[in-house]
Amino acid sequence: MKRPVAVVGVGQTHHTSRRSDVNIAGLVREAVDLALKDAGLEHKDIDAVVIGKAPDMLEGVMQPEQFLAGAVGAHMKPLLRVHTAGSVGASTALTAVTHVASGLYERVLTIAFEKQSEGNAMWALSPNMPFTPPLVAGAGGFFAPYCRAYIARTGCPPHIGPMVAANARANARRNEYAHLREPMTVEDVMNSPVLWDPIRYLETCPSSDGAIALVISSEEKAKKGPRTPAWVKSGYSYAEAMWVPGRDQVSPAAGRICAKAVYDKAGITDPWNQIDTMEIYVPFAWFEPMWLENLGFCDVGEGWKIVDRGDQKVGAHLPVNPSGGVLCTNPIGASGMLRLGEAALQVMGRAGAHQVDGAKTALGHAYGGGAQYFAMWIVSSEQ
Amino acid sequence: MTKLRNVAVVGFAQLPVVARDEHRMSTEMLYPVVRQALADCGVERDAIDYQIAGSVDYMDGRPFGFVAALDVMGSWPARQDLHLEMDAAFCAYYAWVRMQAGDCDTAIVAGHGKTSEGEPDRVLNLQLDPYYQAAIGLDPTSTAALQASAYMARTGATDRDFAAVAARNRAAGARNPDNQLRRAASADELVKTPWAVQPLRQGYLPPIGESASCMILAAEGKAEKLCDRPVWIHGVDHRTELQTLGARDLSRSAGTQLAAQKALAMAGVQSAAAADVVELYANTPAEELIVGEALGIDPKAAQPAINPSGGALCANPVMSTGLIRMGEIFRQLSGRAGARSVSGARRGIAHATQGHCLQQNIVWVLGTERRWT
Repeated sequence: MKRPVAVVGVGQTHHTSRRSDVNIAGLVREAVDLALKDAGLEHKDIDAVVIGKAPDMLEGVMQPEQFLAGAVGAHMKPLLRVHTAGSVGASTALTAVTHVASGLYERVLTIAFEKQSEGNAMWALSPNMPFTPPLVAGAGGFFAPYCRAYIARTGCPPHIGPMVAANARANARRNEYAHLREPMTVEDVMNSPVLWDPIRYLETCPSSDGAIALVISSEEKAKKGPRTPAWVKSGYSYAEAMWVPGRDQVSPAAGRICAKAVYDKAGITDPWNQIDTMEIYVPFAWFEPMWLENLGFCDVGEGWKIVDRGDQKVGAHLPVNPSGGVLCTNPIGASGMLRLGEAALQVMGRAGAHQVDGAKTALGHAYGGGAQYFAMWIVSSEQ
Repeated sequence: MTKLRNVAVVGFAQLPVVARDEHRMSTEMLYPVVRQALADCGVERDAIDYQIAGSVDYMDGRPFGFVAALDVMGSWPARQDLHLEMDAAFCAYYAWVRMQAGDCDTAIVAGHGKTSEGEPDRVLNLQLDPYYQAAIGLDPTSTAALQASAYMARTGATDRDFAAVAARNRAAGARNPDNQLRRAASADELVKTPWAVQPLRQGYLPPIGESASCMILAAEGKAEKLCDRPVWIHGVDHRTELQTLGARDLSRSAGTQLAAQKALAMAGVQSAAAADVVELYANTPAEELIVGEALGIDPKAAQPAINPSGGALCANPVMSTGLIRMGEIFRQLSGRAGARSVSGARRGIAHATQGHCLQQNIVWVLGTERRWT
């Protein structure tokens, strides 16, 4: 990055299974209005817009950013549309960061959304690829073998997934924007049916309608804003091929390389002690210990022990997903940007009832494809 | 204009455009052009810092079609990567922005799309506002016809004028071995073709075709090592308008006009007429006239040469057509344009568009010399 970049505005909708009171444009506009208001800005202050969302088949509109150009205030501005599978919300925000870092733009509005009630995610995520046996089982069917491989590799006991899920729900109860906020115990999760072995119904993310927008700003403009910004210390997107012999799907090299890149750039040598909280992309409960290992918070095989000890709970050593994360809120295309936006809110000290006390440095993370795409940033309260 | 980093196009490859590549998937079509672009630069994939691809799921008729492009682009070990659901010309823009941020020195830009998997007119209907415009059955030919009518009403352009534009593209296109349509056609012949949607005749529309394309960009210091005659980026800008057809003056392209103003200012060039050659992404003769007007080009003047490649009317592989315009300027300015070379060309403009009725437009100004010293 050629110059400092900051997050100066965050806006998100209240996420839910069906927002029948608004159309796609209305949903997106809600997040945009909130982000601009948060930053104390108007559309005329925005130089460019970067939109991300997951497959267009989820709503049945091809390149919907084209019809949304008016709703997001992009008329006569540069508008780019990003799509990097599940990681898209995060890679979209990072694309906006690069725009500002280049010196070409002062303030960029970045938006991610999904209105899953418009279509059927299970169908849209069950592609029939040439020469590949169709799973026809959505993302859960695709990722269950990854979780089984993790369990086989590490001896992770069967109560870890339910513990992750129950903790996420406990966190979401403090997040007014979260989709699933009903009380849920470890026993409830254990007693829910297995959808794709080992993934139980209550270890699975919901299908949500929701949107988030961030205003990304240069240093000069950020310092003129009404609020303390979150400074982007580093941000990278990495991706790796699917069909490589020896590729480790459980702990993909792309994730490890991306994590190292963001830590190195941000001057983090000991993530377990230097990062105060993190928002990571956990669509199925078992991915929480998997990512703790992949992101370098512990050695291989130790991730589930962090969960077992409860060290990742709010109030413990390193709170993971204080917002409740993807397990409680999943408008797919927005989920990655929600992770990055929630990380920013934490270091701004503005996460409300789910604020982690004293959070100064936070990691935001998302992944996508067949665990091939990774996008992360480190944000800090200090420049 | 502040001083920016000099970045050049150093390699470009495309597949010859065909109506249907029967035996290959979109990404299988991409693989050989990635290899060829790298081979032209004399390097392997490890020499390139950054990768970005442009494609659209709906053209492949499946979600995540782009994920397979990771494999054919050589994404092992993991690469810094992005994918845009846009024509690859916009991907080249973001690669250029990254170089301005100092985040990479070299980038590989790919475009791929398998138009023959579906019926493009029906698929592209789904780009429209789902509540008001898609629902009435508009397709890109109908919306282009509305635009052509608006242009005729404002300027008095005639059917015959459209035929002349199409004929010029077809004549030029006969010299481009990558084109799908390689037979010249006269205005007399084209003006007799049946209506597609009035006032557009079948002879005024691109054939449905597919291809794949790959460009390599490099910043100063690297570019000279990868290419004997790098073609430097002097200026670029892109703009989006509202999609709503009733909310804009369809007879003009305000987005192209503003993008051109900004790109020319960045390039330090007074007017597009100072270019030796331009490549315009126009789906119809009306679009070509509208874009030309927005750029400030007189189609009757000797300079610049317009679409010596034959333009989109001779080959329109969706998701690559825009990048090919830029690739054509690279070929023209680096002595790689063969029989369609514009003699002595030193400065060129590439335009690309996407969306109904020229909704999103990007304008590149390219030259044989470095822009900033």
